[in-house]
This record gives sequence, structure tokens and C-alpha cells, in this order.
Amino acid sequence: MFAHVFKYRFKCLLRDRWSVFWTLVFPLLLATFFYMAFSNIDKSEIFEPINIAVVDDEQYRNDQAFREALSQASAGDDRLFDLTVASEAEADRLLDENLIDGYILVRSPMKLVVRNSGLKQSIIKSFIDNYVQTVSAVKAILKEDPAAQEGLIRDLANRVKYVREVSATSAEPDNILLYFYSLIAMSCLYGSLMGSREVTDIQADISPVASRVNAAPVHKLKLFICNISAAFVIHFSEMLVLLAYLMFVLRIDFGPRTGFVVLTTFLGSAAGLSFGAFVSALGKKSEGIKIAVIIGVTMLCSFLSGMMYQDMKYIIAQKVPVLSFLNPVNLLTDAFYSLYYYDSLSRYAFNAAALLALTLIFCSSVYLIIRRREYASL
Amino acid sequence: MIINARNLVKRYGDLVALDHLSFSVKEGEIFGLLGPNGSGKTTAINCILSLLKYDNGEVEIFGETMTPDAYHIKRNIGIVMQNVAVYNELTVYENIDYFCGLYVRDKNLKKRLVDEAVEFVGLNEFTRFYPKKLSGGLLRRLNIACGFAHRPKLIIMDEPTVAIDPQSRNRILEGILELNREGATIIYTSHYMEEVEKICSRIMILDKGKAIATGTKDELKAMITLGEKITVESYGVTEEQLKRMRSLPNIVSVDYRDQVLEVKSGKGKNNLETVLDFIKKEGIQFGKIYCELPTLNDVFLELTGKELRD
Repeated sequence: MFAHVFKYRFKCLLRDRWSVFWTLVFPLLLATFFYMAFSNIDKSEIFEPINIAVVDDEQYRNDQAFREALSQASAGDDRLFDLTVASEAEADRLLDENLIDGYILVRSPMKLVVRNSGLKQSIIKSFIDNYVQTVSAVKAILKEDPAAQEGLIRDLANRVKYVREVSATSAEPDNILLYFYSLIAMSCLYGSLMGSREVTDIQADISPVASRVNAAPVHKLKLFICNISAAFVIHFSEMLVLLAYLMFVLRIDFGPRTGFVVLTTFLGSAAGLSFGAFVSALGKKSEGIKIAVIIGVTMLCSFLSGMMYQDMKYIIAQKVPVLSFLNPVNLLTDAFYSLYYYDSLSRYAFNAAALLALTLIFCSSVYLIIRRREYASL
Repeated sequence: MIINARNLVKRYGDLVALDHLSFSVKEGEIFGLLGPNGSGKTTAINCILSLLKYDNGEVEIFGETMTPDAYHIKRNIGIVMQNVAVYNELTVYENIDYFCGLYVRDKNLKKRLVDEAVEFVGLNEFTRFYPKKLSGGLLRRLNIACGFAHRPKLIIMDEPTVAIDPQSRNRILEGILELNREGATIIYTSHYMEEVEKICSRIMILDKGKAIATGTKDELKAMITLGEKITVESYGVTEEQLKRMRSLPNIVSVDYRDQVLEVKSGKGKNNLETVLDFIKKEGIQFGKIYCELPTLNDVFLELTGKELRD
């Protein structure tokens, strides 16, 4: 009996194009869209050297220290400036044609000419200020203690960092990952569409086909378990396809704990199915209304977990922390996040346990609602 | 008795859908439940099947009390729902196989039964079709095949011919008679009196959840005073003539409208002759003449004061 029901349920769900679209095709499309959008964000975050000019006049030629400082800042792959040495007229022309972001006139004090104000102009000004402060400090020290010249020059050449950056984990910070975590979590919750259908197709007061099934000599809960098992196998397989697509095609790095990522997806798939079954079991509304509610709730949960606006996750965590624990999408993203960033599994375990608890609550509620065998109205 | 329903009461708030309804169905019968929409036919079926909770009464099927867990009883029941109840994602064959498989575990037997069901409803050429590709008539046939493929002893059909073409309807009715000849007891609900008259061996007329009459069609017709309905195309009938006609022996009512004279007579012989003699004697010009025996609609009309189609 199990094999018979499972086989036909499997066929039914696989042939339900609408359901397959939302649970597989849509997440794949969204993943591709995210990938294309965020690749450009990566490119925009690479620092490009700032185009500047310095006016080639007598003051400039006489200021050897400044020439050396500019020369150092304009050399190498990680250079700060692409430097042009030009006459003042030429520098003006370059600035007018937006070929440079500003030019420097070596005067006392130093003069920076710009047309706009912005990040690049601020960097040029910072560089000049830093140079002026250093020169001023050196002059002051030498005036007080001319003998310190040798040591001073050595110290200037060997700057010491008194602050050391230490990573809390072995993982590199990657903000974009959070979007993909939300995407996987949202896809897990889209399993609720299948879960909803499983209840619709077994509640005689919702669909005619369920009336026929209820009239058959099969225990309703056994039938439900067969059906939901088929739905779970399909949905979890779809999630594995999505994970494989993200990891092997789009080359998204989820860290070394692939097994736990799969386990989290497994839990997410179960949570999604049980959530859908729960929503569907709650009332006697039409299937269309239930689907609208499920999609709406899923999108809201995804929004609150930071899929559309990353800071929302932190706002909710600070302002309404309870909501973070009740939101399955947030629990999933947080579980993925913990796996990636934290060496310890304690935070992951908490999220996984909370997700499991939510799933059990949904399943118990569904059981209590659908166990009735007679209906008040059909 | 195959079914024995006693004193069924079902209320939806203030509305009484079944009002102390009692009836029994004998083995080998085609038992018709006839009544207008909203009379309680489907509610009665759902209560019998233990799908619907009822407020009072009891139902025995095959001599045992029917409950939602009575799987050994359910195994011998087939149901054809009023609304088509099939999976759109499964083909015709798969749908029949799926529902048959809920009753029959033996694979070889199941295959034979499914093949027979396909043959029976004439869907051989459509086994690989999905329900959405079928016409209304073919879809109804699939709906029926899903209900009886496991060859149950009792088949309950809830308005299986709603909204289909006459050709498909005739085929379905023939099929029901065939199933009955093969030994199935059938409960057939409909608001089409012609169908019920054609196939049912015994009929219960329902109105507002109450059984207002039960019996064979002849027994039901015998319950009313109407014996014959004589319709005459006639011209220039005066009020005086109508008055004299009403006083003829065994005439129940006379109505003249749009040049059609409708005379209802009581039971008895020579009613037509009496009317024709009167028409000739009065010199009334007439055209076509029809003479009809009472229908179940007339029974319903006389018992409730309203038409079945209302």
C-alpha cells in the first residue's frame, strides 16, 4: 500500500508544474539573478587608483620629500594614485575634462584643486594632510634634538602597527553569502506549497478528491504519511539540486561543512512542508487563498531575515528578538551563517534545535487537526 | 438489507438538512434518491458514508454499524462523487489504477479490474490522456470508473450525470444498469426525474431533508389522485365550456392557456374518451391531442405543491 500511494503521489507532485516552478525553477532563477547582481557588487568594491596631477613648477621640483612621498603612493599594484606631472594649465584642462579628480599645487600651505567633492577628493586631501603633519612633526623634533635625525629617519622608514587584526574564525567575511542563505531558506519554506497540497488532498471538507480518498478503506494518517513522504523526497531533492547549482555552477563557497549545510537544508525542507501543512489544516478556505497566504508569509519571513534588506535581520534581532526565533527563514539563515563563520557548533545547534521544535509544533498541530475522521460540513 | 438508515438528523445551525430521515436499501436494488437541489440528497449520502457527522440517528451497512474506521465495510463500497474527483496530474489509467489500488492489493487482480473498468466506461482510447484533455462526458465516465473499478457490492452515485451531453448520459445510465445486472446494489441520487424513472427499481422522494414518499415508481404514482393528463390544441374555448368540462365525471382540473387545453383526470378508464366526446359535442375546433400518464414530477407537485425543478 505504501509503495502504491507513494508512487502515485510522487508522480502527481512531479507533474505539478506550478509547484515545481516555485520550489525549483524560481529559486534557480533567483540564484542566477543574485549571482549576476552581486558579481557586479564585488567588482565595484575593488579599489581603483585615483587619477591626480601635480603641477610641475619650481616649488614642486624643490620639495624632494613630497616628490618621494607622491612617487611611493603612485607605485605598485596597490598604489593609491595614478600620477600625472603637468603644468598648471594642463592640470586645469585634465580636471575640466574629468580625466583627473584633482591636482596639487606645492605651496605653503599645500593647495588641492578639485571640481567636485567626494570620496576620491577626500582621499587626496587625507594624503596631503598626513604628509603635512609628518613633515611638521619631523621639523619640530629636529629643532628640539638635531641628534635624533638618524633614528627619526629609521623610524619613518619602519612604521610599526600597534593594532593587529585577528579573525574570530577561519572564514573570510562575505556579506553576499547572507543573500544566498536567505535564498536557500526561502526555497526550503516554499516546500510549504507541497505541504499545503498534501492536507488539501486529504481533507474531505476541502476537495472532492479528498472525499473520495476518505471513503476508501485506508487510514487517513497512514495515507498522509505516505503522501508527505513523497513530497519530502521531491522537495529535498530539489533543494539538493539548488545547493549543487550554487556550489558547483555559481561557485558559491559555503565553507568546509558541506555535510551540515545539507543537514540544515534537510531540516529546512521538513520545516517548510510542515509549515504548509499547518497553514492548510488551519481553515477551510480555498486552495488559492491558502497558497496566497503561504507565499505572502514566506516572503515576509524572508524579508525579515534580510533577503531584500540585509540590515533587517539585525534590526529584528535587536528590536523584536522573539520574532527571530519564530521565523523559520531566519533560523535557517542563522544556522547557515553560524556554520560558515563560527568554529563552534553551539549557535548552529541552537538554530537547528529551534527549527526542529517549530517543525514538531507544526506537525503536532496538523495531526490534531486532520485526525478527525468525520466533518461537520462538506 | 444492504443499508439501513434510521432517524438521521443533520443540522447546519438553524437549517435542518436531514429531518429524521429513515430508509433502507435491499440487495440488488437501484435505489433512487430524488429531490430538488438542496433537498438533502448529498447530505444523506455523506452521512451514510460517515464522511459527515450527523446529530442523531444510525446507519448500518451490510448489517454492521457504519463508522469512519469501518474499513471492512468501506472496502465493499464504491463512490461516485457529484464533483469530478480525480487527480489532474495522473492519466486516465493511472487515476483508475490509483483509486482501485486503495481497495485491492493483489497486483494481478488490480490490473484486471482496471482494464475491465476502462473497457466498461469506453475509455480505451483515452488511457494516456490527462483529465484536462477530456470532454465533460468522458471526464464523468472517468469519475465513475474510479468509483467502481474495485467492483464493490454497493455503489453510491451522487448525481453522476450533471452537466453532460445526452449521449454520454445515456451511456452512463446503460452502464449503471449493467453494473446492477452484474450484482451491484446502487444508490443513485439525482434531480432528473427521467433518469430516476428509467433506472431505479425503488425511489425515495426527498424534500427539505424529509422523505415524503418511498416506493416503486408505480407505487409513487398510485399515491396521487392524478390518473391522466390530456392536452388538446384547441381554439375559441369559452369560459362556459370550461365550466361544463370541469363538471364531467372523474375530471380533476381543466386549464386553458395559449390555445392549449390541459385536462387532468383522476384514476380510471375512458377519461380520454369522455373529454373527446365533450369537445365534439361542444363543436370545439381542435388539433393535436396528447395523453400522458403522471410523472414523478406530478407526484412531487401533488405532495409538496411545487415542481421538482423549482
